[in-house]
Amino acid sequence: MTWKEALGNSVPADLAREIDTYESQLALKGQGKIDDKVFAETRLRRGAYGQRYDNGQRNDGTGVKMLPFPSNGRTKGPDTVWDAPGMQRIKLPFGGLTAAQMDTLADLSEEYSDGVCHITTRQDVQLHYVHIDDTPSLMRRLAAAGITTREACGNSVRNVTACPIAGVCRDESFDVTPHAEASMRFLLGHPDVQDFGRKFKIAFSGCRQHACGLVIMHDFGAIAVTREEDGVEQRGFEVYVGGGLGAVPHQARPFEPFMTEDEILPTLQAIARVFARLGEKRNRARARIKFLVAQLGLDEFRRLVREERAALAHDDRWTAYLDGLPAYGEQPLKTGHPLDDESGSPTFKAWARTNVYRQRQPGYAVATVSLPLGDLSGWQFRRLADVARRFVGDTVRTTVEQNIVLRWVRESDLPALHGELESIGLARPGAGSIADITACPGTDTCKLGIASSRGLAAELERRLGEQIETLDEAVKQLRIKISGCFNSCGQHHICDLGFYGVSRHVGGHIVPHFQVVLGGKWVDNAAAYGLAIGAVPAKNIPEVVRRITDRFVHDRQGAETFYDFTKRVGKRALRETLKDLTTVPPHDVRPDFYRDWGDPREFGIGDMGVGECAGEVVSLTEFDLVGAETQVFEAQLQLEADDFAHADALAYGAMLQAAKGLIKTEFIDISADPNQIVTEFRSRFFDTQLFFDKYAGGKFAQYLFRRHARGERPADRDTARQLIEEAQLFLEATHACQARLASQPAVPPTGNPPAVAGRA
Amino acid sequence: MGAVSTSTIAPDVANLQRIALKIFLDDESLLEPGDVIPVFHRWIQTQAVDGLLIDVADYSHMPTGPCVVLVAHEAHYVLDRAGGRLGLQYARRQPLDGPLSHRLATLGRLLLRAGRLLETDTSLPGPVRFRGNEIECVANDRLLAPNRAETLTAFRPALDAFLATLSAGAEWTLTQETDPRARFGLLAQTQAAATLDTVAERLG
Ligand code: HEM
Ligand code: SF4
Repeated sequence: MTWKEALGNSVPADLAREIDTYESQLALKGQGKIDDKVFAETRLRRGAYGQRYDNGQRNDGTGVKMLPFPSNGRTKGPDTVWDAPGMQRIKLPFGGLTAAQMDTLADLSEEYSDGVCHITTRQDVQLHYVHIDDTPSLMRRLAAAGITTREACGNSVRNVTACPIAGVCRDESFDVTPHAEASMRFLLGHPDVQDFGRKFKIAFSGCRQHACGLVIMHDFGAIAVTREEDGVEQRGFEVYVGGGLGAVPHQARPFEPFMTEDEILPTLQAIARVFARLGEKRNRARARIKFLVAQLGLDEFRRLVREERAALAHDDRWTAYLDGLPAYGEQPLKTGHPLDDESGSPTFKAWARTNVYRQRQPGYAVATVSLPLGDLSGWQFRRLADVARRFVGDTVRTTVEQNIVLRWVRESDLPALHGELESIGLARPGAGSIADITACPGTDTCKLGIASSRGLAAELERRLGEQIETLDEAVKQLRIKISGCFNSCGQHHICDLGFYGVSRHVGGHIVPHFQVVLGGKWVDNAAAYGLAIGAVPAKNIPEVVRRITDRFVHDRQGAETFYDFTKRVGKRALRETLKDLTTVPPHDVRPDFYRDWGDPREFGIGDMGVGECAGEVVSLTEFDLVGAETQVFEAQLQLEADDFAHADALAYGAMLQAAKGLIKTEFIDISADPNQIVTEFRSRFFDTQLFFDKYAGGKFAQYLFRRHARGERPADRDTARQLIEEAQLFLEATHACQARLASQPAVPPTGNPPAVAGRA
Repeated sequence: MGAVSTSTIAPDVANLQRIALKIFLDDESLLEPGDVIPVFHRWIQTQAVDGLLIDVADYSHMPTGPCVVLVAHEAHYVLDRAGGRLGLQYARRQPLDGPLSHRLATLGRLLLRAGRLLETDTSLPGPVRFRGNEIECVANDRLLAPNRAETLTAFRPALDAFLATLSAGAEWTLTQETDPRARFGLLAQTQAAATLDTVAERLG
């Protein structure tokens, strides 16, 4: 029995098909039939990421050692060993979770990972130490719970984030959840988002002033706004483009002050098309849309997008979801009821002060489950699902601060809820405080990690957590975010005290350091990015935090914010405060400075590998060729199972897909219609003899033409087998043709009208 | 959409490979979990325990669940705090040869060997002692071993033989995990006290 058999029809048909294809691609990779680069991007687009040490080596503290995986040369990407543990990212649009989905995530963490679920800085869930062979079952089980991992990584549209309190927020213009969800659904797997040079991130926010949506750091960010039109309130979005963190952070630029709701999806599509066509593909360090916007200038970018928008063929899906908006909303499990102020123990009250948010709807509150480093065990997740069932139902969301919120808690239930959370170790107070730190995976599991962001975060959380009750109120509310390197997955630019890992050579040794980043702003949708003021040895960072916060308390003027304080005092003066902390004591005096937090090994940077942040730039043609290979492979399986009709259809489908891939080198908008594919292929590649083999001439193309002309006729074993062989040859010829084309100077593909009017 | 129920699928314990065994500390106050991190790193350096040892994951910030994990290709060695009780777990991920009873004995040997190493590690203030009369067995595979009565019936013969060896024939009481969504899990306890050393010797 396999999960595929056990789950049967519980997996939605489209997801089932995608995962079957992915599984076939795993098998094909095993047979050496898929190129490493193409396979890496294929798995990334299904959320299966590489992990530290997956190149098969690791410094164990005494030197670099080979990790003798049994893979026998089998790889799952360039320099990535098949059997090495990997990470699975699980996409949760706007962080939404149902109780049943929490159960599933709990199960998967126990069976395929290490028993821990990790919440990321973009409302996703990650499982670590997952074997790639387990990923198809894992994905099927998720799919049965209504979750896809598609496009969780790779050069595609990543998770669409939104305020975790959208819909219940006291300050929002309106609930952005349906828009976030519709964007996700519309763009998932959309042909126009498959050819990016880099990832594309979208965020929705219900208001300008708070942080929740972090719109300003996104490729596409939308803030809900309303305006009066003829006395009627109209809903729309203030739209920003070209933001992003990373080594070169950019603030998003205002694209349009008021975009009506119905224009959001078509504009996203138009931006995607412009980005795919003009975005950088070769130099990945400059491939995010922020560089394109900077290079073209905002006005020219806007003009191109509007031009593209005007030329788009109408799609009903752009606005279909809007009809449901008036009725959209979550059903609370219980009727609202206020909590009288006297209720609850002192522990409850301390927790409620930081972890409870009073909803717009009277009698209801949002409770935050504050997770240390974004982690919770499978058992805790399952129990939390039960707590959700008892108190709120399916209204649960993850947050970009790596926490979980339970929405629609009846206020009078809060003490009982707190008690339940306490019994499962999830009643940590201090949500959103200085002791609730955000950290990227860092050297724990990330191939690019330089210093241990999680090790430092754990240490700071421990120290600050112990002091939290005695800290000054102004300090309590500060936020700390930590990244293991400059790539800023921990979002260190947009907080009060940010840190990112670097290394320094000192006396013949390498010492872990963190750059101290000040001047960032979390509020106003991440309105300002901090700047590094100097690197301090990792072991001195707790003292950095102490000194800067002490100085803040001491020198603060009135109700000055930390942001204003750093601006007034100036980075130079603050740097001066830390000066003595930058010195590294000699190795024989303080050997601990030469080790990272939570890691007893002598520090080094030899374990860094090639990260998969950008994914591999793989052309649409290459993807189609892999898809075609997969279909031929599946055709063989069907032949073995005596399903000749199915085998025949798959072999035919393989030729069509390969032909389609070739056509895309010239004409990107080729449809999936067989008639159009064959017509375009004939005119562009057969009549021009581009497809011709030196010896066989146009013979292989004839295989496709013959099968196409034959139409639907019953297949038997012999005809199916023959067609599979022909499809294989057709594919070889396609590869050869693509190689010939690639060696010629490139002409960028266009969205031009077909060379020949298709019959479709 | 709901989680999928495997309640109609017959267990298949003969093919069950992902099994985890856990032994418990006698006095938890004598072991600071963070102290085990350098020990696990050293085990990697010296290849002290069986398997392709990869890395150490520190989850000591979590109040329950795995605490410090020695990640290996074949299995994880886990200083585990699940159920609020600190202990050492050997959680198999890759298949082993032989019938279930044989595989259980192999898992037991690998676990006890690691347990003995912790007990005798001079870097730990300790003394670290595991109970020789208590062991938890979890089937980490809801497909082949759902948490149901039939699984217990199918699993009993191999388990009983394994437990009898551990206790030299003394009786065990079994407590099964009650949550049907949880993994199939049993806590086995016997009156007959024994050191880990003795138990390891019995297992051979
Ligand atoms: C050059 C390579 C990379 C760059 C430039 C990069 C950049 C970023 C940035 C800016 C974010 C922040 C948040 C946001 O945009 O909302 C992010 C998210 C994240 N990154 Fe990276 N990253 C890179 C590679 C990696 C690698 C190799 C890992 C570890 C496997 C990693 C793990 C994460 C995680 C866990 C998140 C939050 C995740 C999510 O999307 O749910 N990143 N990345
Ligand atoms: S910031 Fe650096 S260390 Fe952290 S996850 Fe991103 S790439 Fe890895």
